[in-house]
Amino acid sequence: MNDNSLCTKTHEYLLELENGKYEVGITDYAIEQLGDIVFIELPEVGTEFVKNEVFATIESVKAASEIYMPISGKISEINEEVVNSPELLNDEAYENKWLIKMDSSADQIEFADLMDYSDYKEEIE
Amino acid sequence: MTKQTFLHDCHVKLGAKMVDFAGWHMPVQYTSIIEEHKTVRESIGLFDVSHMGEVIYKGKDAKAFLNKMVPQDIEKLTTGKAVYCQLPNKSGGLIDDLIVYCLEENKYLIVHNAARVDEDINWMSLNVGDMDVEIINESHNYSMIAVQGPKACDYMKSLGIEDLPKFFSIKEDKLFGINLWISRTGYTGEDGVELIMKNKYAVAIWENLLSHAGDFTVKPIGLGARDTLRLEACLPLYGNDLDENTTPIEAGLSWSIPKDKSVDYNGKSIIENQIKNGVPKKLIGLKMSDKNIARHGYDVFYNNEKIGVVTSGSVSPSRGDNIALAYIKNLDNLAVGSTIQISIRDKLHDAEIIKRPFVQKRNKN
Repeated sequence: MNDNSLCTKTHEYLLELENGKYEVGITDYAIEQLGDIVFIELPEVGTEFVKNEVFATIESVKAASEIYMPISGKISEINEEVVNSPELLNDEAYENKWLIKMDSSADQIEFADLMDYSDYKEEIE
Repeated sequence: MTKQTFLHDCHVKLGAKMVDFAGWHMPVQYTSIIEEHKTVRESIGLFDVSHMGEVIYKGKDAKAFLNKMVPQDIEKLTTGKAVYCQLPNKSGGLIDDLIVYCLEENKYLIVHNAARVDEDINWMSLNVGDMDVEIINESHNYSMIAVQGPKACDYMKSLGIEDLPKFFSIKEDKLFGINLWISRTGYTGEDGVELIMKNKYAVAIWENLLSHAGDFTVKPIGLGARDTLRLEACLPLYGNDLDENTTPIEAGLSWSIPKDKSVDYNGKSIIENQIKNGVPKKLIGLKMSDKNIARHGYDVFYNNEKIGVVTSGSVSPSRGDNIALAYIKNLDNLAVGSTIQISIRDKLHDAEIIKRPFVQKRNKN
């Protein structure tokens, strides 16, 4: 995971790619907790979500987990590769573990409860 | 307080992910549920099932007593034999499902589900009346290790258990010099045994089973794979597929119930009536037509009408598709091959009713 990622208490990460463009995924810790990932459902490009809204579902063998928007935004791209091969998320050698890319002009207040990656790592220990 | 089995530290040392299950701190997986599942289907898996309840029923009325508690014929259960039973309430709903072992004349061992053992003993005690039966809960004194898989019996033989008990039989034996009960039973659909030993020997048996593998592949298996294995074999899980509002006939367990049992037992008239006249709801097996997974509690639809609910569902690591068990209204036009729908996150997804079990059981012997 990129050290510049911001993380949620519900184990999503948010990474700014360029001004107003972000990628969102789940943290390595979340992947490890889920175990074998067998199904990923992502929204359609163009869909808009508000902060904390469910935008995706990830199913492990044991259960379905809802994935929440770290900040409000509009989906600009989805990771088709992980939709087609969900087990890639469990593959340590695989690097493109993002779920969606989005455009966002979210207000600074939406970032208030996000943690720096270093703080997140402390939190999960 | 969450309880720990005597093998708890072994699991932690093996790197298991531990979860709370039925009041116990248990390993859900060691490496990967899918990998562990395949190990049991291809070679040998070890399960710590010490959370299960072991209860002894003895006394000169023990046989007659158990015979009036379960639909199965305990009269016919001879020494060394085991039988899969249900424990119905007065309405035929299930308080638990059980394995009953006849250890000797009028002495039985019953293995109860971990979460139900107190409830079961309470119900049994209420029904004893003036019969001569002693109920001794030995759960806290015994540990249980299941050894399951197509090579499990060969492995046991290689360890010196020459004369393995036949399918659904139990005997006393010695393994690594330790006295234990060895039973040809399991919860995976594979051949194999379950070993019941005093707590103080559990670690020695577990560690020896892992270290004596030689050319056999023997791996520890968590509760996650135990669930996918039992689901493929359509072995019901109490609390998911069975409860106090479901009769054994509705649960598709009529194969386990003798049609000619003369002795009265709890719920008998309702159960017999359902055998004769049919059931209002029935258990079906299904496979999803797409990649979605039907989970416990999801609604089942047919022609836009809600007709039932999913009780267990998962990916099937052996088949590569997604399978589930569900209870639906007993409609005449729905049978194997019919298409129904499962409501998943507010959308209906097609599923096909298919034959149970989902994988062929290999534990007949």
